[in-house]
Amino acid sequence: MESPISLDFAYGPSEDVVVREIEGEIIIVPLVSGIGDLEDELFTLNETGRAIWRKLDGLKPLRVVVSELAAEFDAPADLIEEDTVGLLQELARRKMIIRKGSASER
Amino acid sequence: MKSARLVRREGERPLSGEALTELMRAVLAKEKPLRFRAKGSSMAPFIKDGDVVTVRPLGGARPRTGDIVAFLHPVTGRVGIHRIVREESDQFSLKGDNLSGGDGTLSLGQILGIVCRVERAGKNVHLGRLAGGALVASLSRSGWLTRAVDAARRVSGRKRERGSK
Repeated sequence: MESPISLDFAYGPSEDVVVREIEGEIIIVPLVSGIGDLEDELFTLNETGRAIWRKLDGLKPLRVVVSELAAEFDAPADLIEEDTVGLLQELARRKMIIRKGSASER
Repeated sequence: MKSARLVRREGERPLSGEALTELMRAVLAKEKPLRFRAKGSSMAPFIKDGDVVTVRPLGGARPRTGDIVAFLHPVTGRVGIHRIVREESDQFSLKGDNLSGGDGTLSLGQILGIVCRVERAGKNVHLGRLAGGALVASLSRSGWLTRAVDAARRVSGRKRERGSK
């Protein structure tokens, strides 16, 4: 079972995806091991999702990401936190991101 | 501020040639297959506009005459999907089945991967190798492939009609 998303940890793209920012769009391609999967394979993010993704550098704890986004978007931090955690849960479920470690571990 | 969303890209506007080229090179470099929606009709009737195509990396294997491959077009630098109609040492002649002219001669390094699966309306499409790669390539080279496939389909349609009577 996947660990819940924690504000104390940093997150970054996993090795199981290829991600390219092309023509202003972030395209995520899951690297499937087989070709029997009938699901469509290309994903993208909306504008808010892109802003979050660009900050997932595997170094900054999510708490910092949330506070930077709250300042940039001039929006309540609790709303940003809910949105960010929700997106990361979806990305983690699809194995598109991995947890890189907490600030205390570095 | 809208809620953050991850969405499937299929069904939205098709990938540009540049985007597909970049993604295909990145994915195949990791020795993984790429599945995407095809544009155009140069490979009809085997690949039609909107079909879902899977390209697998060469993985050290040499493509053969009759294979449908993804390649870097020598002039545009973009990805194309056409059939190998002739091979000689490490040089390959490619052509779209539904085109009159070929793509010229390419080296092995310009071939990115092999089309291993085509899906249309959720079903797999036969890629034209069962009859023998050389025969299919020869028909494609001469421009007779699309007419031969149409004729075969007409015959098989008539047989089905007779069988149902």
